[in-house]
Amino acid sequence: MANDSDDDVMDAFIDKFKTEKYKNAFNEETWEEEMDRIPIFMTKAPDEIDPKKYPELVALQSMIHDEDRTPEEKAEDLKNEGTSYFKAKKYKQAAMSYTAALVMKSKNQDLNAVLFSNRAAAHFHLGNMRSALNDATAAKKLKPDHLKALVRGAQCCTELRNFGEALKWCDEGLKLYPTDRKLQELRATADKNNRVSDRDARKAKAKQKKLLGEKEALLKAVQDRGIKFLPSVRPRCSSDSDDDEDGEPSTRGLSQLSLDGLNSGEVTGAQVYLNQEDGALYWPVLFLYPEHQQSDFISTFCENHCFLDHLTVMFGEELPPWDTDHKYCPSDLQLFFEDEQKETLYQVDSQTSLLRALQHQRYFVKAGTPSFIVLVKGSPFCKQYLSDKKVHSLK
Amino acid sequence: MLSESELQELLSFLRPETRPDVKAGATECVLGLSANRDGCLLLGSKPDLLQALLRLTSDPSIGIVKDVYYTFINLSAEETLHQVLVSALNLLPLLCINLLDPSFPFSDQICTILSNLSRDDRTCRQVLQDKVGLSKLVELFCCEKFNPKATFHYIGPLLSNLSQLQEAREEILDRDRCVLQRLLPFTQFEASTIRRGGVIATLRNCCFDHSHHAWLLSDEVDLLPFLLLPLAGPEELSEEENEGLPVDLQYLPEDKQREPDSDLRRMLLETLLLLCATSRGRSVLKSRQVYALMREYHSWESTPQARSAAEKLIQILIGDEPQTGMDNLMEIPIPEEVEQKLREADAQEQEELERELNQD
Repeated sequence: MANDSDDDVMDAFIDKFKTEKYKNAFNEETWEEEMDRIPIFMTKAPDEIDPKKYPELVALQSMIHDEDRTPEEKAEDLKNEGTSYFKAKKYKQAAMSYTAALVMKSKNQDLNAVLFSNRAAAHFHLGNMRSALNDATAAKKLKPDHLKALVRGAQCCTELRNFGEALKWCDEGLKLYPTDRKLQELRATADKNNRVSDRDARKAKAKQKKLLGEKEALLKAVQDRGIKFLPSVRPRCSSDSDDDEDGEPSTRGLSQLSLDGLNSGEVTGAQVYLNQEDGALYWPVLFLYPEHQQSDFISTFCENHCFLDHLTVMFGEELPPWDTDHKYCPSDLQLFFEDEQKETLYQVDSQTSLLRALQHQRYFVKAGTPSFIVLVKGSPFCKQYLSDKKVHSLK
Repeated sequence: MLSESELQELLSFLRPETRPDVKAGATECVLGLSANRDGCLLLGSKPDLLQALLRLTSDPSIGIVKDVYYTFINLSAEETLHQVLVSALNLLPLLCINLLDPSFPFSDQICTILSNLSRDDRTCRQVLQDKVGLSKLVELFCCEKFNPKATFHYIGPLLSNLSQLQEAREEILDRDRCVLQRLLPFTQFEASTIRRGGVIATLRNCCFDHSHHAWLLSDEVDLLPFLLLPLAGPEELSEEENEGLPVDLQYLPEDKQREPDSDLRRMLLETLLLLCATSRGRSVLKSRQVYALMREYHSWESTPQARSAAEKLIQILIGDEPQTGMDNLMEIPIPEEVEQKLREADAQEQEELERELNQD
C-alpha cells in the first residue's frame, strides 16, 4: 500500500533524471545531428562522406535506408556491412549486422546460408560456441555443401569438447570435400581427443572399481574377525544418498556400514586399513588419560601387536610432560574399554593383542577408532574413577 | 547334366514374358546347376543363358531376382568364368549402379560377387577401375545406415583383394584424403569376422611398402592402437608399462576379449612385424610398450602359428638393434634361392588363407 513517504521517494527518484545526465547521452543541442550519424537512424544519405574509420560503411549505410531497395538487396548490403565489421575485428557489431540481414527474410537461401555461416564465425570469435554452432547448423540446413559452415560446426563441437559430434561434422564434410586439409586436421584432433576421453572414462571406472574392491575387502576382513561397530546416531547426510544411487543393494549395505562404522569423520581423518602384505588390519587407536584430560592418538596400530608394545614406547625413556607425578610407567598401567550401552568398564590385559581386545563380546568400535582408557594401577585417581562404575576386572 | 535341348528349353523359360511360376522354376533350376563346378562351367559356356539371367535381374518378382543374384555369386566363384562375366557379359556396371542404390535389397550379394571377382589380378583391376571407385566403396563400407537391407561386410575382403594392387594401395594410402583412417576402427568389429578379416588383411597389405610406415605410425593415421587392441587382453600391466601404452590400450576393462579367430591374430602379428622393418618403426613399437602386451599375449596364445609369429615379434622387440647397413630389414639383399623359397611359402599361405576366408 503506497503511502506518502513512498511517493516522496518515487518523486525524488524521478527528479534525478531531470538533473543528472546518463552517460553517452546525446548533446541536447545537437542530438538530431548525432542521431543522424548513427546508421540505423539515418534518414537520408549524408551529403559529405565523413572520413571515419570505415568509409565503406558510410557508403553502405546510405544504401541500406534507401526505400527503393528490395529485401534481398538490403540483406546483401547488411551482409557487406557485417563483413566490414568482421574484417575490423568488431565481431559483436558484425553479428548484429548479420542478424539484421537475416531479419530481411530474403528469399535467397544461398545468401541466408552465408549469413548464418558468417554470423557463426562472428560468434566463434566472440567465444559464443553454442550460438556459433546453432548458426553453423542453420547454415548447413539451408546449404548442406557449404564448406565454411561444415568446418565451423566441427570447430565449435571441438571447442565444446563434444568430440563425437565433431567427428560426425568432419565425416559429413569430408564426404563432399575429401581433400580438405582443415577438415582432415579437425577430424584427426577430434578422433584423438575422443579416444583420450574414452581412456579417461575407463581410468575413472577402474579406479572406482579398485576403491570399491578395497572397501569390500576391508569390510569383509573386519566382519570375518567378528569385530562390531557402534551404530552411528548421525542422520544420513546427502553424500550418502549419492553413493547409494550408483551401487547395487549389496554395495549400498556395505557403504552404509562403512560410513557408519569405519569413518572417523571429522575426528581424526584416519581410517582402518587392510595391509596387503601381511593381511593384518591396522587401526587408528586412541588412548585416553582421564586423570589428566589427555589423550594419545596412534595412527596405525597393527592388530597383532599388543598394547604393552605401544605403551612401552610411549612411556619409555621420557614420560609425557603432563605426567607431573611421573607415575605412568608401562608396567603400572591398567587399560579399560567402556561398554557404553551397559555403562560398564572392562579391563584389558595390556599383553593381549589389539585384535583380541576388539573381538571382546562387549567391544563396539565407535566412530571407526577404537579407544582405551589408561589409568595408573592403585593410584588415588584410579580408585576414585572406578568407584562409581561397574567394572569387570581381570582375574 | 542337362542335354543341349534341355538347355534350350530352359533358356526359353528364362524370358521376361514367361509365366511367373515357370520362370521361377527355371531360375531355381539354374541356381541348382550353379551349385557345383561343372554346372558353372556349363552355364558359363552359354552366353545366351547368361544374357537371359542378366535381363532377369530387373524382374518384378523378388524371388527370381534373388535366385539370379545367388547364381551369379556361384558363377563368380569360378575364376575361369571371370572374363566371361566381366568382359563378355559386362556385369560390372549393373552391379555398381545397384550397389549405390540405398534401397536395393541384394547389395550384400553384389558385394560377395565383387569380392569373388576381385580374386584374380585382371578382374581385380577391372573392378577397381569401375565407376564406383575405391573411395566410394570405402564410404559404403563405413557408413552404417546407408542401406537398411545391406551390411556391406563383404566389401572387407573386396578391399583386401583390391589392396593387392599398387594403384589401389595408392588410393587407400592417399595422404590428401581420409581413406585408411576410416577403416581402422573395424579391426574390432565384433559382429562380423568377414569385415574384420577384410580390414586386417587390407592393413597388412598396406604395410608392405615401408615408405608409408612413418606416416602410418604418426598421429595422422595412428595405426598402431588398432592393430594392438584385438591382441590385448584384460591382464593388468605395471603402472610404468601402462603409462607407455597408446591411449586406447590403457585401462582396458576386465572383460576385454582378444580376437577370437587365430588366423586374424596371426595377420595382425604379421602386420606388426612388417612395421618393425625400419629402425624408426621398431623404435616406435618399443616405446609404446608393445613388448609388454606381447608378453601377456604370448602366455595366452595356444595356436602354434600365431604363437610363433608372436615369438618373432618379441625377438625383434627385445633384441639388439641390427648393425648399421642392416637398418631397414626390407632392403637387405636376399640371395635368389632364399627369395624363391620365401615366395613359394608366401603364395601357399595366401592361398590357404583365401580359401578359408571365402568359405565363410
